[in-house]
Formats: sequence, C-alpha cells, structure tokens
Amino acid sequence: MYILKNSLISIIRNKGRNILIGIIILVIAASSTITLAIRNTANRLVKNYEESHDIIANISFDRKGMSANFKGGEDAKKENIETFNNIETFTIDDVKNYGNSEYLKGFYYLYATSLNSDTLTKATDSFEYEVEDIQTTTSTTSKTTGGNSGMGKGPGGENGGGERHTTINNNTTTVITKSKEVFQSSRNLTGDFEIDGYSSYEAMNDFVSGTYKITEGEMIIDFNSYECVISSELATLNEITVGSKITFKNPNNNEKTYEFTVTGIYTDNSNTDDTKNMYSPSANKIITGNGVIDLLVQDDSTLTTNITPSFIIQSKDVVDSFIEEVKQKGLNEYYTINTNLEELETATKSIENVKTFATTFLIITLIISSIVLFVINMINIRERKYEIGVFRTIGVSKFKLTMQFVLELLIVSIIMLIIGATCGSYLSKPIGNMLLQNEIEDTHNQEQEISNNFGKGPMDMRFNGNKQVEEISTIDAVVDINVVIELLGIGILLTLISSLASMISIQRFSPLTILKERS
Amino acid sequence: MGILKLENVGYRYKDAPKDSYVFKDINYEFEQGKMYAIKGKSGSGKTTLLSLITGLEKCTEGKVLYDKKDLKKMNLDKYRNTDIGIVFQSYNLLPRLTAIENIILSMDVSKVKRKDKKKKALELMKSVGLSEEHSKRKILKLSGGEQQRIAIARSLSYDPKIIIADEPTGNLDKDTENEILKIFRRLAKEENKCIIIVTHSQNVCDSVDTVYELVKE
Repeated sequence: MYILKNSLISIIRNKGRNILIGIIILVIAASSTITLAIRNTANRLVKNYEESHDIIANISFDRKGMSANFKGGEDAKKENIETFNNIETFTIDDVKNYGNSEYLKGFYYLYATSLNSDTLTKATDSFEYEVEDIQTTTSTTSKTTGGNSGMGKGPGGENGGGERHTTINNNTTTVITKSKEVFQSSRNLTGDFEIDGYSSYEAMNDFVSGTYKITEGEMIIDFNSYECVISSELATLNEITVGSKITFKNPNNNEKTYEFTVTGIYTDNSNTDDTKNMYSPSANKIITGNGVIDLLVQDDSTLTTNITPSFIIQSKDVVDSFIEEVKQKGLNEYYTINTNLEELETATKSIENVKTFATTFLIITLIISSIVLFVINMINIRERKYEIGVFRTIGVSKFKLTMQFVLELLIVSIIMLIIGATCGSYLSKPIGNMLLQNEIEDTHNQEQEISNNFGKGPMDMRFNGNKQVEEISTIDAVVDINVVIELLGIGILLTLISSLASMISIQRFSPLTILKERS
Repeated sequence: MGILKLENVGYRYKDAPKDSYVFKDINYEFEQGKMYAIKGKSGSGKTTLLSLITGLEKCTEGKVLYDKKDLKKMNLDKYRNTDIGIVFQSYNLLPRLTAIENIILSMDVSKVKRKDKKKKALELMKSVGLSEEHSKRKILKLSGGEQQRIAIARSLSYDPKIIIADEPTGNLDKDTENEILKIFRRLAKEENKCIIIVTHSQNVCDSVDTVYELVKE
C-alpha cells in the first residue's frame, strides 16, 4: 500500500517530469486511439462488405487456350469447330459434384436450353417475310447474282441460306439456286426462345441486382413444374397476360410440345447502348426452374443445353483450394474458374489503404514513443539514483522498488490514456473520413490520368475485366470496447518497455555506492 | 552473547587479487544497552565493515551473526527495515518528502501496524529535540543537525535493537555533535539499544563504552 502512496506522492512532487511524460503519453494515446479506431472500423467495414458480397466463382471457357490450337487453311473452319465440339464439357452432375465442397457456402446454376413456338412471335427486329416476285421477260440478256429465292430482305436483315443466280437469255429464263450448308457449333442454342432454368432465386442474378423486375404477377414458385415468367416485350408482342398458357415445341422434333403457364411478366431495366436492336437481349428469354430443363432433357436428351454454375466460396483464403479441388475433380483443361474477388478487393482498396496507413502510423508512433519514453526514464532513473539508494538502505526490496517506479509511470499512463482516448474518440471520425476521402481522390485522379492518356474524359475503367463496383466511401471510426482494450494493452506495454530502464538500474545499483557517490 | 557478532569476518573485492583483503579475521561482539565506536584511518575499511553489518554487502569470509542467526541466511531487506536502524553522515533522507513523511515512510516500509503513525513520528521527533513545526518542513529546509536528528528519529521509528551510524557527526559542529551523542547515549542506556558508531572522531570515541579500531594491513 505504501508503494502506491509513495508513487502518488512522487508523481505530485515531480510535476515537471511527469507533465513531460504525460504529454508524450497523451500524444501516443490520442494517435493510437485514432489509428486503432480507424483500423478496427476499417476491418469491420471490410468484413461486413465481404459478408454481404459473396465471392462467386464461375466456370468459363478458356478461348485463348483453345485458339492456340486453331489451324489455318481452307478446311480450318470446319476442323476448328470440330475441335471445339470435341472438347468435353461439364454436365449438371459435374456441377453438383463441384458444388459438393467444404470450401463453399453453396452453389446455384442456370440451366438453359431453347425451344421453338408456332404460336408465339419472336421479339426480333430481323425477320423474314414474303414479297411478290414480279418478273418481266424481255429479250435482253441479264445476269443477277445473290439474294434468297423469292425472298426479300427486311431492314437490318441478313442473307438467307441460299444464293440465286438468274440468267435471262433470249426469252429463256434459267433459275439456278445454290443452297448453303450451315455448319455450326453444337453448343449453340438452336431454338427461337431461350429457356433459362434457375436452380434457386439466388441464382437469378438479374432479379437480385434489379436489372429485371417483375411488374405483373409473380415469380415462379415451383422450380419443377412448367411455370415461367416472360419479358414484357414478348408479352406485349403476343398479347400474353399472367395466367396465359404458352406452347413451345422441340426444335429437334416438331411433334413434341410443351405448355407453360405464365406466372409473371418482367421488365428489363438494363441500359443498352446498342441502338441497332429494337428489343432488349432478354426479350425472348423464358425464365423457369432448373427442374423444367431436367424434364425437357429427360424427354429429349438431344436438346442442346448450357450450364452456367455459380459457386459461393466460403472466404478468399480458400479460393485457390476450391479451384484446385475442381480441377482434381476433372474439369476440362479448356475451362477456367474465375472469381469476382478482384472486383470485391477493388471496392475495399481505398479503405484497405487507409487501414494500412493507420497500422503503419501506429507502429511507427509506438516505436518512436517507446524509445523516447525509455530515454526519459533512463534520465529519470539517473536523477533518482540517490532515492533508490535511500530506499534500499531502509529495507525496501528491489521488487517493491521496481513496482513503485512502474506504478508511477502506469498511473501517469492510465490518466493520460483516458484523456488521450477521449480526445482520440472525437478526432477519429473526421480524421478517418478525411484520410479515406484523400485516398479515394487519389484513386480517382489515377483513373482520370489513365483516361486522359486515352484522350478521353472520364471513362468506365474496366481494365483486366474489372467491373466498376460501389466502393466504401465513409469510415465512421468509433472507439469501442476493442479499441479501449487494445489501448490499455498498448499503455501497459509502453509502461513496461519504458520501465525497463528502471528495472535494470534497480537490479544493478549498489545502494552503498550510490550513497557514497552522493556524499 | 551479544545481539550482533562478527566471527572471523574478512572482505575482499571480487576483482581483487586472492590475498588482497580490505580486512580479515575481524571478531567483534556488540551488546544491547551499550555504545560502540569503530574507528580507523581512511581506507581502513570502516564503511565496508558497516555495509557488512547492515547487510548491504556480504562478507567473503567468516560470519556476521544477528541474534545468533547468520546474515547470509536472512532476508536482508527485512533485517534492514526491522532489526537495525542506519544513520548516515549525509543523512540520506528523501528531499521530496517532509521531515515527518520520511519517518512515516520508514514505518510503512517496516510494516509497523499502528494507526497513529503520525503521533508516533511526532513523539520521536520530540525525543530527538525537534518540534512539531519542524515536521512539516521539507528536508532541504532543515539544518544539518536537524536533518541528522530526523535521520535518527527515522531509524528509531520501527524500534530496532541496533542503531548503526556512519560518521553521524561528521558534518556537524561541536555543540550539535554533543547533542547527537547525548541522544545516542540515552537510547543505549534508557531504551537498551545497541549503538554502533563508525567514526574517526576522538570526541565520539571518548563517549562510547567500547572502541574497536580497524588497522589497514
């Protein structure tokens, strides 16, 4: 008890020294509070962002890898397509196998095929129509090459599959029609209407993001029955309302028809700058459940299907492990797994930079202040050598004496830590936001500079496939219990480090020598 | 047997040659109720002997026995704050404390269990000829003689059996020296203390019961 009493007396009666130490600790405490608050809040923001934004892995075709094996020459086109067709793709069972992983939170997929319809008009600005062919026979010799036989071309239309060569020669008309053989990729969906079967609502990215929005009726409920939602464009064009039944037919077999009930109608809010198209790309999309595609494939296994899986990865630490696992499970070498990790990291880049700055600043502050406090304490101990000698001669143990010196510093530290933490808590929010704004400005300036290099004004920065993502723009740094605990830890650590001088000195000093020197 | 006994005590510095002793074969015995003087010329080892008796150093040969117990086996901090009181030539009081605080601190260190420590401290000050007015003064506001009286009062604060004084009158004038010696004599005769004074003052030697002389070898 007398140690505490003596420490307090010593603090009060050595005002000059303790005020100096106090000011240093106050600065350390305030700056530590600010940096800790910024760091912790930044950590929390990044964590929340990561929790609310899943890391999604998609399987995509490695076109670059495949094109390396392309050949040139006359038969190249056919051979290349054959090469492409021979690449073993993944099946729905493969996707389920990949999805069964400890590294995943879950997975979903889009299972798509296509169907035709006799009763529905496809929403397209390119369509074929018959024109009346009026030909006047003359004796003039003429030659025409190109165009469909008996068919005209609509606006923006394209040539049909055949060529017509008409030769009129001395009242004798000869029509030569050459048909083209269409050789195309086996992966192309051949029907007029794309039937997108989603495995869950989560998989419906466009609805989640708000690009598509149900405006009439509701989303499908049963993922295994012939229910669907259609675009407002298709609905308007064909005068379809919620509850209507629409019939599709198998593109490979006209005899097979499938009747869907429309449960809802959605609008596509995506902004497209493609002014050549009348309709949105989703106009002919029929949205249904994955179970429906399963039923269609069970009915006709020759139907062409596309699978777009999305895997939700547990954390960024296991991304590589998951990719490795999928490769081991047999994903073809021509497929690669891409994630949105880089996009997510772009969004938190500014705040991560502020966090790094705060941490570095904290470390430097602590190192410098530890050294300063250590030196001050060394000087202090040299000044108080006599006092140490007196205490030792009247029977104060080395341990208790050390305790007294540590306690003196600890009391000053705690008082100043409280004041410093209070100041820091008021300053951390504006300073944190100021640092973040500077960081964001720097990032934007860098982007602006790159834009200027392209001779353009502000442009959408999409280098390396990065999407522009919404970044964290405010950091409301708060001093919470974690900051207080960390600050207390720093205070104790600093006290111990700076008290090392007194600890060592007290162990080394011979009281009699000190007192003799004094005499 | 006396309260303190030195048996064949010798001391050699750690880095000194093997046969180079400050002193050796010292056999002194000190009893309660008596005053002793240890005298010797400069360099004879008076202060070193004092450090061995006070437990600030350990003898390299022989034994120092306090109440038949070897100091080497005792807790020396406790020995210093309970069993012996030390008075130095330069007083060795804490200047940042007042006179009375120095005495109370000593009681605190010795774990004296009494509620009226202040009252006891004032009594002690009175017993060495100081008034209550002196008690509130900072050490540096007191004269040398007054500081030495405070040092004596401090050494008495936990009622030790032995008072060891190192040149206690070295910085004082003749009259003050006599007053201090008077106090020591009273402590020995009336309070049964063993007073050991390290000195080279003949006046002090003349005032004590026994004089031991250290002769440099």
